Amino acid sequence: MKLQNKINIRFSLITLLVFSVAGLYFYYKLERSINHNIKEMLASRKGYVMLYLRQHSPTDTVIVSPDNSIFIKTVPKIEPYQRFSDTLIFDEDEKELAPARKLTFSYAVNENYYEVIITQSLLESDDLQKIIFYFMVALFVVVLLALSILNRWLSASAWKPFFNSLSLLKSFKIGENSNIQFDKSGIDEFDQLNEILNGLIQKVQADFINLKEFSENASHEIQTPLAIIKSKLEMVLQDKTLTDQQHRQIHAAFESAIRLSKLNSALLLLSKIENRQFVETENIDIIELIKSRLEYLQELIELRQLEVITQFEGEFVVNINPVLAEILINNLLSNAMKHNAEHGSIRIVAGNDEISVCNPGLPLTIEPSKLFERFVKHKTSGDSTGLGLAIANEICKSFHLTLRYEYRENLHCLILSR
Amino acid sequence: MKILVIEDEVNLRETIVAFLEEEGYCCEQAGNLELGSEKTNLYEYDCMIVDIGLPDGNGLSLVKELKKRHPETGIIIISAKNSLEDKISGLDLGADDYLTKPFHLPELNSRIKSLLRRRKFEGRKEICLDKIRILPEDRMVYVQSEPLPLTKKEFDLLVFFVTNPKRVLTKEAIAEHLWGDFADSSDSFDFVYSHIKNLRRKLLEKTGTDYFQNVYGTGYTFIGEA
Repeated sequence: MKLQNKINIRFSLITLLVFSVAGLYFYYKLERSINHNIKEMLASRKGYVMLYLRQHSPTDTVIVSPDNSIFIKTVPKIEPYQRFSDTLIFDEDEKELAPARKLTFSYAVNENYYEVIITQSLLESDDLQKIIFYFMVALFVVVLLALSILNRWLSASAWKPFFNSLSLLKSFKIGENSNIQFDKSGIDEFDQLNEILNGLIQKVQADFINLKEFSENASHEIQTPLAIIKSKLEMVLQDKTLTDQQHRQIHAAFESAIRLSKLNSALLLLSKIENRQFVETENIDIIELIKSRLEYLQELIELRQLEVITQFEGEFVVNINPVLAEILINNLLSNAMKHNAEHGSIRIVAGNDEISVCNPGLPLTIEPSKLFERFVKHKTSGDSTGLGLAIANEICKSFHLTLRYEYRENLHCLILSR
Repeated sequence: MKILVIEDEVNLRETIVAFLEEEGYCCEQAGNLELGSEKTNLYEYDCMIVDIGLPDGNGLSLVKELKKRHPETGIIIISAKNSLEDKISGLDLGADDYLTKPFHLPELNSRIKSLLRRRKFEGRKEICLDKIRILPEDRMVYVQSEPLPLTKKEFDLLVFFVTNPKRVLTKEAIAEHLWGDFADSSDSFDFVYSHIKNLRRKLLEKTGTDYFQNVYGTGYTFIGEA
């Protein structure tokens, strides 16, 4: 939900509440005041009636005032009383029944007893209340309108620096356009926000560069001692006086040093891909690349007694870094070779949108969804680094390709698609 | 043959020098760019092995300088950075070869020998060993003037062994020599085994000598006098 809408809804709700409460209170106060006035009016008219009765002591059974508002009736002896009540009277002017206040009381003058009814129409006060209600509603609508105009104006002017910053942030990509420049807005809060964002961005950029440098330097620093370990061990292995046992132990250390160095370079490669450090791209026909890699691997494939079945149709051209394209295909092919069955096969089907590399083999011992994670290894795959498919997947991600696993017709398939 | 080794890591430099001296080369060493540059000014070398990342500068500048002054010196770059740009710019500047650390010492040896052969004898130098005569440029092998047909890999393997005679060549070094980065799978050792078996058989049939010796299941040694 947009901030503006959110504010509008909250504000409308609160305004509605305030207006309702204020309207009700106003109405209540007004009604009380009107009632009081009417009561006073009735009381004062009662005084006039009593004066009239004292002065004239009329003997007519019924006296009605010209406007029907006073009604005097002569009655037998009655106890003095006084009662206020509500009633409806027919209003001559408005031609309708109108609510009215009624005062009934008894009065005794010189042994004559009278019952008097004085009525007072409430029509005017009713009108007044209506006017108040409509006024409140109209005021509410006007306030809402003013609010929405204010908001529109605010978002166009006052919020402008905020939206500017937002669009700048949207276009920001780490490691690319390294400098983001926020304009001074003249609004303290936004300037503060921009200042903090600037600080954060600079920190993130610096961390990113540090990390990049760190992974490069770490690799360099690790490769050099590894090179020393390897070469020293290689020298020792030349020693003819070594016993069988010593030779084997040194060779085991030598092997581990080699593995470590391979792992190190694979991790470095992975972080370089993730950091988007391979920027140069070319249009590369992946199918042609597969053909040439297959030729290169032919010997290894023959030695493993694998059958290669290919079905190439169309072309699969991708704008990709050439080094990474080769690594991607190498990893897919060597994965198919490594996890193949005895005398198995590699089936490669390539079309315009999809390339699948399939091989028979033992059932997966790991979740297919975890296949592309780092250091996920098939139980039988001994000394592999467990990074090959992670690297392949990472390459695909950075060049808008997808890599997925499927099990089709008893074959493990890795499918590369656009 | 005089070789200059420029490498800032003392341990690695000394190992390389020790290995090459065993091979019969006369080695000089330098630990930084300044000393290396000084030495190349004073003396002439047949081959220079230079690390790119030196404490006082990039080894590539020395490659450029040396190529101007002594174009006949062979140059091999060794680098911890497996970056394509470095490789390309190094070779563009006139370096003859590029090795990524960590490398196998026999691999370095093999590359130096091949480089010296190409530089000193315009590639016509034969490698002779007992009854075996190898013409590296023509990729031909003769046993007593009779050609011995070998596959590409078997030929590479034979040259690798012949340039490193009497040394233990580990399966890892052999696999890496034959397949480069593809040597990472453990099956590649089976392939090494099967290639060596074939080469061994072919040589045994023609020469009557078994040149290969297994070393405790870790590698092979080529026995034969050059």
